[in-house]
Amino acid sequence: MPGDVHEHLVEAIYADAARIADRAVSRPGHQARPTLDRALDHVLTSRIWGFPIMLLLFALMFWLTIIGSNVPSGWIADLLVGKFWPLLRQAASGLPWWLSGLLVDGMYLSTAWVISVMLPPMAIFFPMFTLLEDFGYLPRVAFNLDRAFKKVGAHGKQSMSLMMGFGCNAAGVVAARIIDSPRERLIAIITNNFSLCNGRWPTQILIATLFIGSLVPAHWAGLVSAGAVTAVALLGIGFTLAVSWGLSRTVLRGEVSAFSLELPPYRPPRFWQTLYTSLIDRTVFVLWRAVVFAVPAGAAIWLSANLHVNGVTLAQFLMQYMDPVGVVLGLNGVILLAYIVAIPANEIVIPTVLMLTVLVTGNQGVGEGAGVMFELDSPEATKNLLQAGGWTLLTAVNLMLFSLLHNPCSTTIYTIYKETGSVKWTTVAALLPLVLGFAVTFGVATVWRFLG
Amino acid sequence: MISLPFIVSLLIIAVLLFWPDVGVVARWREARRRALRVRREDALKHVLKCEVNGQVPTLNSVAGALHIRDGKAAELLADMEAHGLVTLGEGRLRLRQPGRELALHVVRAHRLWESYLAEQTGVAEAKWHHLAERKEHQLSPEDTIALAARLGNPLQDPHGDTIPAEGADLPADIGQPLNAAPLDTPVLISHIEDEPEAVYKQIQALGLRPGVKACIFSKENGCIRFWADGREHVLTPILANNLTYVPLPGTTPEDLFDEEFLSELQAGERARMLGLSTACRGAERRRLLDLGFVPGTMIEVDLVSPAGDPTAYRVRGTVIALRREQARLIRIGNRETIPMETAAR
Amino acid sequence: MKAEPIPAGVTPPTEACATCSVYRAANLKKLGVNMEQWDYMIALAGNPNTGKSTVFNALTGLRQHTGNWPGKTVTRAEGGFAYADKRYKIVDLPGTYSLLSTSPDEEIARDFILFGQPDVTVVVADASRLERNLNLVLQVLEITDRAVLCLNLMDEARRHGAVVDDRQLARDLGVPVVPTSARSGEGLPELLKVISDVAAGRVVCRPHRLTDEPPAIRHALNELVTKIRQMHPELPNARWVAMRLLGGDENLAEALRRGEIGGAAVNRPSNPAVA
Repeated sequence: MPGDVHEHLVEAIYADAARIADRAVSRPGHQARPTLDRALDHVLTSRIWGFPIMLLLFALMFWLTIIGSNVPSGWIADLLVGKFWPLLRQAASGLPWWLSGLLVDGMYLSTAWVISVMLPPMAIFFPMFTLLEDFGYLPRVAFNLDRAFKKVGAHGKQSMSLMMGFGCNAAGVVAARIIDSPRERLIAIITNNFSLCNGRWPTQILIATLFIGSLVPAHWAGLVSAGAVTAVALLGIGFTLAVSWGLSRTVLRGEVSAFSLELPPYRPPRFWQTLYTSLIDRTVFVLWRAVVFAVPAGAAIWLSANLHVNGVTLAQFLMQYMDPVGVVLGLNGVILLAYIVAIPANEIVIPTVLMLTVLVTGNQGVGEGAGVMFELDSPEATKNLLQAGGWTLLTAVNLMLFSLLHNPCSTTIYTIYKETGSVKWTTVAALLPLVLGFAVTFGVATVWRFLG
Repeated sequence: MISLPFIVSLLIIAVLLFWPDVGVVARWREARRRALRVRREDALKHVLKCEVNGQVPTLNSVAGALHIRDGKAAELLADMEAHGLVTLGEGRLRLRQPGRELALHVVRAHRLWESYLAEQTGVAEAKWHHLAERKEHQLSPEDTIALAARLGNPLQDPHGDTIPAEGADLPADIGQPLNAAPLDTPVLISHIEDEPEAVYKQIQALGLRPGVKACIFSKENGCIRFWADGREHVLTPILANNLTYVPLPGTTPEDLFDEEFLSELQAGERARMLGLSTACRGAERRRLLDLGFVPGTMIEVDLVSPAGDPTAYRVRGTVIALRREQARLIRIGNRETIPMETAAR
Repeated sequence: MKAEPIPAGVTPPTEACATCSVYRAANLKKLGVNMEQWDYMIALAGNPNTGKSTVFNALTGLRQHTGNWPGKTVTRAEGGFAYADKRYKIVDLPGTYSLLSTSPDEEIARDFILFGQPDVTVVVADASRLERNLNLVLQVLEITDRAVLCLNLMDEARRHGAVVDDRQLARDLGVPVVPTSARSGEGLPELLKVISDVAAGRVVCRPHRLTDEPPAIRHALNELVTKIRQMHPELPNARWVAMRLLGGDENLAEALRRGEIGGAAVNRPSNPAVA
């Protein structure tokens, strides 16, 4: 009966709407939808071309992002780390050593690092993504992919938040807003961390090049290491689907679910406006949050390497405790500690790992001193340093896996909390990948040791 | 000589055991009280249902319905008689007024909770009954009034059963088991018995639900074959026994066979929407209505996803993609091919 | 605020004035809108994909991005503009297909129009898909007396070969209709003019209202309407609210209860309108 009143109302409104619209609109030209739109739709969602076009477009997008951001990343690093940092050090020379260390070597350096690694790819990736979105292509992608997502109890629009996650998980979590069904939206938010964000790409690429590319002859090295990184990214998509499936059948079973997907008309995007708004709304927004979290991280990293407990630094003290756990997982204490202090931003994992390795190995003459993150110019030098720290192929493989499967960065965790408004779901989203990460690395390490 | 730690441990154990409300003993007694309450309410429910459906409730039937031994049932009934809930005379049970009120409340709570699960959560259909069986004993009369208000005082639960209004009597179950339905005559499935759960799950997996029109066309070889929802179904008599029908005068078998659903519409075709199935509920139903899926609307197939599902439909000037199981809930008529020159409309 | 600010220590007017600005300002404050520096308050409603944000940006000069998706404006955007010596505050409501469902977006939009009672509600509609957009327009007209229809994307409609008779539409809807193409700025001066006319009361709207009601509930409906009129004289359309309550809209009932508490706090208990 109440349902009847509701339905009566809806029908009455639509009847009035149809009557009024009919009186007001005439179509002398008799052409309702431009044939161009229709033709485009038939190609972009066709059985033959739909998927290839999609794959090509996204491959192109990633390629442009990775290739295009190398050079500006170098410039920014040169400027912030190469030029400003020594100047700042000089300027702070009057301060006590611990204060200048904390401010300049800790806080400033970590922020500089985050900006130089994060800014260029996001400034390229997000505008491209937004252009496709404004053009109206992305809803078609959701339409094409819905079947796969339906099978795991998710929504086709999750493909959008997933793609966005490759740029930045925090942005991906926000993008899940477009999913209007509560259950599917939660699934998209919780699984977004399985999209390898651009803060983690440099780690993947570096480790794959150093340890996996070097397994094959030089002219195959590029291809093999690229293949290894792609495999990790695809594994992430596999985890997204598997975890979505698990969530929709267990903890999220009772949440409300209602599917609908509008395919809006194509509209030519306005290039400059899009560039401007996506820079302001997405890039700067994400960057600002990252910087806010990177500053305390820099301080923590510097302090951990300069505070002493029982005669050793805090970092060494902690690593001693974590090393046994790390070894069981096929990693080591350095990596675990680096992932703890680098929770605010994945970008600083490698510089932190290098700094901590120097600390552990006591390797003199490398790096910039205790608590100072750095990168080495030559890959060979990096590899030598890591091997001196006891790294093997297993460590490298498991680091790549752990980089995919660990808790989201603090920016993302905070964003998840803002979006869901629930401590419970935030905790699930933060701990689930970590537990999976421990399980997977432990499994790989065990099998590896058993076989070899 | 008894040591101090021994006394302390003893004290702690005693506290753990006997502390009021949270101690082990208190909890155990509470659980027993609750179990007794559940059995008592289930027995009342059974007697009420027997009464309204013209069956004779007996000690044996109570024992059968509650899956307990006769001796235990006798004990239970004696206790209920002592509390003034039922009278036991000449081998048959009768409800007394307090017992009747309590039984009605439990039925009402059960059916309201099922409606709640159906309308406002995403809990799977197969779980509704099980969850409501537990919840019916936990809701107070005030809770049920609030719940009913929240649901807009529904008259029927998702299985098609009447939800008795506050203070009203429970009407008899109308309808007969589908086994007894005449051949080649359209009937309306009015109710699906949700017990036993395994059987209910099977029926539900077939997409059968209250409000579906069916027409039996053969009852041979221990199989009941019938047409419903635009498809042929085959049920064993045991399964069909759990479906209840009411006659559907004024409908011919042809009307039923001609029933079509949006999921059958092919690319290049259009049709007029006739209605939304009753199985489409809650948030999903409201969303479809808002998107313009209301009776009388012209719907045409615009695009089919390369994976074959979902399909995008043009509705009132907008392209909306629906999944196949949603399109299956939308009844259509006047199906036709779109003429070429207006194909772009 | 239209009324003079009330100095501290002075009792607010005690006569029935549930529709006066003191009452409304308090309600708006509850909805999170500060009206201290503004003369008028404008709400912007519309379907997703109608260029609502483009209209918002064009009016305010802000650059707010909302993609080609429904539900992108989850948080309410606010801005302001000045026109003919008056200051207008404009609130961009979430893009929705309807105000009838129980999604959070739709609740935000509905509560804002119903309880915030903006001076003007501008509904942005896609001229090329008018029928679908009218669904929301008609629903908005049910809950407000002061509305303007911004018939956007006229360029797209023309490209699709459609001609929209805006005068006929204005007659049928009972509110001013302004054809625009917000992307190119076409029609925006006219829109501003009409908004100011409606806000200042120079143009009075007689919005189209549903007349059709199920005969089975007519009696219950009439009874409920009388009650709602007594308790909430500020609501522009008690009949609609009654229909929604009978339709089982528990969120609206809850919102009414909340609204009532707020109303009683501003208007003293002696106020006959609330008592």
